Amino acid sequence: MRRTEAPPLATWLLEHGIPGDYDEALAGDLLEEFRSGRSDGWFWRQVLAACAVSWGRSLRARIPLFVFALIWSMMAPAWKVFTDGIESALSIDRILQSFGPVWVFAALAVWLLLNSIFLWAGISVFVLFQAGLREVFRGKMLRRAFLLASLIFLPIYGVTWVWGSLYWYSFFANTKMATTPLGQIADLQMLSGAIRLPYFIALFAALWSAVPQSIRTSQLQLVDSPPIESSTPYDSLQPESTLGVYTVKRFFGLMVGAGLINAMLAGILLCRLPGFYSPTFSTLLVRSILHIVIGVIAGVGGSWLYWKNPSSPIRERSPIPFPLFALICASGWIWVPPMAIFSEQLSPATAIVAAIGAGFLAIGLRYATFSVFAPAVPAASYESEDDELFSQSLYRAPWEAQGYVITFLLYAGGCALAMRLNLIAAALFALCAFLFAWNRTFARDQDLDARREYKRAALRLALVFIPAILVTIWALLDGVAHRNYIAGVNAARSTAEAASANEDASEQTKSPPSATGISGYQSVILWPVPEKKRILPPLPPQPSFLAHGTTKPLIIKFDGPYWYFQPPHKGPSPRAFQVRGTPLVHDFQTNNFASLIMEAHQTLGTSIPLARCREIQVGLLNSDNRRGIINLAVLLADSSSPGRSQLYIGQQPVASSLPANFGFKSKPAGETLRFPIPNPAKIRKFDQITVMFFPDASNYDIGPKVAIDQFQLIPR
Amino acid sequence: MSDRSYLGEFELMILLAVLHLGDEAYGVPISRELERHRRRDISVGSVYAALERLESKGLVASSLGDPTPERGGKAKRYFRVTKEGLRQVHETRRVLTGLWRALPDPKLDPKLDLP
Repeated sequence: MRRTEAPPLATWLLEHGIPGDYDEALAGDLLEEFRSGRSDGWFWRQVLAACAVSWGRSLRARIPLFVFALIWSMMAPAWKVFTDGIESALSIDRILQSFGPVWVFAALAVWLLLNSIFLWAGISVFVLFQAGLREVFRGKMLRRAFLLASLIFLPIYGVTWVWGSLYWYSFFANTKMATTPLGQIADLQMLSGAIRLPYFIALFAALWSAVPQSIRTSQLQLVDSPPIESSTPYDSLQPESTLGVYTVKRFFGLMVGAGLINAMLAGILLCRLPGFYSPTFSTLLVRSILHIVIGVIAGVGGSWLYWKNPSSPIRERSPIPFPLFALICASGWIWVPPMAIFSEQLSPATAIVAAIGAGFLAIGLRYATFSVFAPAVPAASYESEDDELFSQSLYRAPWEAQGYVITFLLYAGGCALAMRLNLIAAALFALCAFLFAWNRTFARDQDLDARREYKRAALRLALVFIPAILVTIWALLDGVAHRNYIAGVNAARSTAEAASANEDASEQTKSPPSATGISGYQSVILWPVPEKKRILPPLPPQPSFLAHGTTKPLIIKFDGPYWYFQPPHKGPSPRAFQVRGTPLVHDFQTNNFASLIMEAHQTLGTSIPLARCREIQVGLLNSDNRRGIINLAVLLADSSSPGRSQLYIGQQPVASSLPANFGFKSKPAGETLRFPIPNPAKIRKFDQITVMFFPDASNYDIGPKVAIDQFQLIPR
Repeated sequence: MSDRSYLGEFELMILLAVLHLGDEAYGVPISRELERHRRRDISVGSVYAALERLESKGLVASSLGDPTPERGGKAKRYFRVTKEGLRQVHETRRVLTGLWRALPDPKLDPKLDLP
C-alpha cells in the first residue's frame, strides 16, 4: 500500500530549512507529485535540492551583506584593544565594585555593551550607505537587527573563546598583536582572525535576518529603472533630479567626506618639509605647488572612487557631472596640504586655513546645486508686530536656527583653540565656515548653465591658487624654522651633556620634541619660594653624621625644584616654563591624553656614604582632595660616579590619601614616610634625592597637591 | 528592458513550457513537461527559482489558486507569460534560428566528432 504522507522529517525540513518565507506552492507541488506515485527518495532529493537552490539564491542576494560584514569585522581587533583599555581602567573597576556580589553580571553587561556598540555602528553604517535600503530597513527592522547582533554575539564569542582556549591556546599565547590601530586592522594573523570571527558572524547574521530578501528586488528595480532623459551632462545641468534631496545631500556629503579624508591622508603622509636647513624661495615654491597638486589629486580621487561605486545612486543620475563637482571641490582640497603642515606644528593657523577651505567649498557646492536644494533666500528684515501697542516701534527678529548653531560652533572652536586643541578647533571652524557660506550664498538666477558653472568653478580655483601657494610657503617656512630651532636646542643640549653621557639628552634628541600640554606648557619646573636668611644647601659637611656611633638624624629641608613633564621625555625641556611656588597652591594638569609625571629633586651638595644611612624619612604636606591613592617612590643618585648610578629604595602610599583615611583637607596634612635603605647597595654614596609621585590611574593627568617638606637621614 | 538581454537555456525552456500549458501552468505540470522533453529528472525547486527570476524580470506573472485536498490544503501557483516574456521568446528564437541556419550541414551530423 502506497503511503499518502511524505516523510515527516523531509516535510519539516522543507518548512523550516529554507530561508525566507515558506513557499506553500512548492510544498504543495512536491506533495502532489509524491501522492501521484513518487518514492520517498525522490521526495528527499527534491527537498534537499530545493534547500540548496534557495540557500544559494539567498546567499547571492546577500553578497553585499557578506562583504560589508567582512570589511567591518576587520576593525574588530582594534576595537577589542580599545575596549580592553576601557575595561581595565581603574574607574570601571570602582564602578563594578559598587555592584557588590553581582559585579560579574555588571561586568558582563558592560562588556556586551562595548562590543554591541561596534556591531550597532556597523549596522548603522550599512543602512546609511546602502542605496534603496532606507525605506525598507527602519524602525522595527533596525531594532531587531540591533537586538539580534547582541544576542548572537554572546554565544558565538563564548564558543570561539572556548574553542581557541582548548585547541589554539599555546599558539595564541605566543602571538602578539600589532601596537597601532592601523596595524591591528591590517593584521592577518590567526589571533586577529579568531577575534574577528564572532563579530563577523554576529553582524552578518543580524543583517541577514533583518534585511528582507525583497530588498534585492527593490535594488534591482532601482538599477533597472530607465535613466532620466537628458542631453550630455556636460551641456546642461539637470534641473530636476529623480533622486530625493535627502539622497543627493547624503551622497554629496559622502563624496566630500571621502575626498577630504583622502586629501588629509595624502597631506599627512606625503607633504614633508624640505630637508635643507635654509631652503630657497624657488625650493619652497616648487614644493608648495607639488603639495597642493597632491592634495587636489588625492581629494578628487577619493571622491571619484565613491562616485563611481556601483551602489552609488548618483553614479548615473547625478544632478551635476563629476568633472564639475571635482573642479568645485578642488578649491577646497587645495587648502588641505597647508593645513596638514600647520597641524604637524600644532599651529593655530590650522583652524584658520580649514575655515577658509571649507568656506570656498561651500560656496562652490551651493552655486552648483541650486537645481537640487532649495535656494537660500535672504532673511527677511525685522518684522513689525502690528498687533501690539506702539507697533511702529516694536520689531521681532527673524528665527534662524542655523545662526545659533554657527555661533555655538564659533565659540566652541574658540575654546578649543584656547585649549590648544587645534585639530578640534579646525573641525569646528571649518563646519562653522561651511554652514555660514552655505546659508549666505544666494542664487543669482534660477537658470543654471553648465558652461557658466564650469567657468565659475575654474575662476574660483584660479583665484584661490595663488593664496593657497603663499599659505603653503608660509607653512613650510614656519615648519622649517620650528625644526631648525629644535635641532639647535638638541644639539646644544647634547654638546653640554656629552661629557656626562646623559642618556636623557640623547633620548630627547632621538625623539622629536612635541608641544605636549601641561596647563598650556610643554613642561614645567616649579621652584620653591626661597626662605630668607636660610641657606641650607649645599649641605655643609657634618662630621657628627659621618662619625661612627652617632644616632642624631640629619635633617635636610627640601629646597629643590619640582619637575612636571610628559613621556617619552625623561625631564623638562630647555624651554620649560619656570615658576616659583609649591604644589600645594599650583595646579598642573595635562590637556592631552598622555600622563603627567611629577618629580621632586633635592641636591645635597656633598656626598653622603650610604653605609652610614639606615633610613630616609620623607616629611610631606598633603592638601590633595581628590580621591585616589598617591604613591611616592624615592631614588638616590650619585652624580659623581660614571653613568650616574641610581638606587631605588622603594615606594609607599601617602597615608592621608588612602581610601580608608580619606577626608577633605582644609589645610595641608603633614606626615612622614619611611624608606629603609638596603645594605649592601649598588652605590656607595649619594648626593641627590629624587621623589617620584605616582597618583592612581584616574588622576594620571593631574599633578598631586603634595609637597615635600624635609628629608631625615637616620644614621645606621 | 534592454533589447540585448537574451534568455538562458533553462529560462527559455520554462517559458516555452508555460506557454504550452496555458492556464494549467503551475509547478507540477511545468516540471513534468520539462522532464518529458529533457528525459531526465528535474528539481521542482530549481524550476521555482527560475520562475521567480523570470518574474522579477517581468517575463512571467503568477497568481495563487484555491487550496486543494490532494495537495495537503496548499494552493497552486499559476504562471503566465507576459507580453515582454513573449517578445523575448520570439527574439531568442529569431537569434537561435539564424545561428542554426548559418551552420553548414556537415557540422549538424551528430556522429561527427567536432572539437
